[in-house]
Amino acid sequence: MEHPILFISIILEKLGLPVPHGFVGHGILEQLCAPYMTYTWLVMAFLFLVSKLTLGNLEMIPGAGQNFWEIVIGGLDDFFVENMGREMADKFFPMIATFALYIAVANLIGLIPGFMSPTSSINTTLALTLIVWFTHHIIGFKEHGAGYIKHFLGPMPVLIPLMLPIELISNFARILSLSIRLFGNIMAKETLLGILFTLAGMFFAPLPIMVLGVLVSLVQAMVFVLLTVIYFAQAQEHAH
Amino acid sequence: MMSGMRKELVQLMAHYGHVGFTFVASIFIGLGGGIYLDQKVFDGRTAPWFTFIGLAFGIAAGFKTLLDVLWKNQPKDKDDKTDD
Repeated sequence: MEHPILFISIILEKLGLPVPHGFVGHGILEQLCAPYMTYTWLVMAFLFLVSKLTLGNLEMIPGAGQNFWEIVIGGLDDFFVENMGREMADKFFPMIATFALYIAVANLIGLIPGFMSPTSSINTTLALTLIVWFTHHIIGFKEHGAGYIKHFLGPMPVLIPLMLPIELISNFARILSLSIRLFGNIMAKETLLGILFTLAGMFFAPLPIMVLGVLVSLVQAMVFVLLTVIYFAQAQEHAH
Repeated sequence: MMSGMRKELVQLMAHYGHVGFTFVASIFIGLGGGIYLDQKVFDGRTAPWFTFIGLAFGIAAGFKTLLDVLWKNQPKDKDDKTDD
């Protein structure tokens, strides 16, 4: 389910580019023109341009734009430091803060008619999740070397045959749950908004859902980032 | 950015909101792994057994994630009580 009108897709179609009618196209050009891809680029361009315009040159006495970014970035930094320590936070701040900003904007953009949340496609959320999942294992192996396997062996050697499958399953479950939770929440919001728009759009029926949509978007971005931070911190700390 | 109370709330929301999904995902991964072993690796010769074992491990993994969340939040609660 998509919004009835996606203006980027219409523009691309007018330009003669192939826009897929399903979720994902067949050829590579058609896949690049899929709505979730084009809107991902829109979000990227938005973040890049807005930060460029508001932060063109940093000043000692911050203006309105710089003040806003200082609050956002400072808040995120405090949050990371609190959950995974100064050193880790400094190391992974660019990555996780990018995730936070990207997911928040990508969730919120779907509330505007004519736009679509890139995160309402499982491809986007799965990609984000896989990046997080591989990174947390890389952190673990870098920190502990081969001893990282101890994280999956449970407390006692006797319990290894029991604990190893359980730990592996619960670790793989992270991929599924992290991606599907974000995807499900945002897709539900988009679908509900789409249905309400087609049913009773002129009577402002979607408005209450839009209010909830703002909440869901921010909370889901927050949850994704928090879980990323927790996974990174867990991979870095010693095995129980 | 946020007051302490709201921060706590968001953290708890993230943890507990995640439990449901992780629980289901664990069971499905366990079951899927069992079915894969039965049907693809052993060509259905061991038919129901690995499915059941996988399901059991999946459920166990689900409960393990549940207990992890519970145990992780417990020491914090105790600290809070001594502070009060």
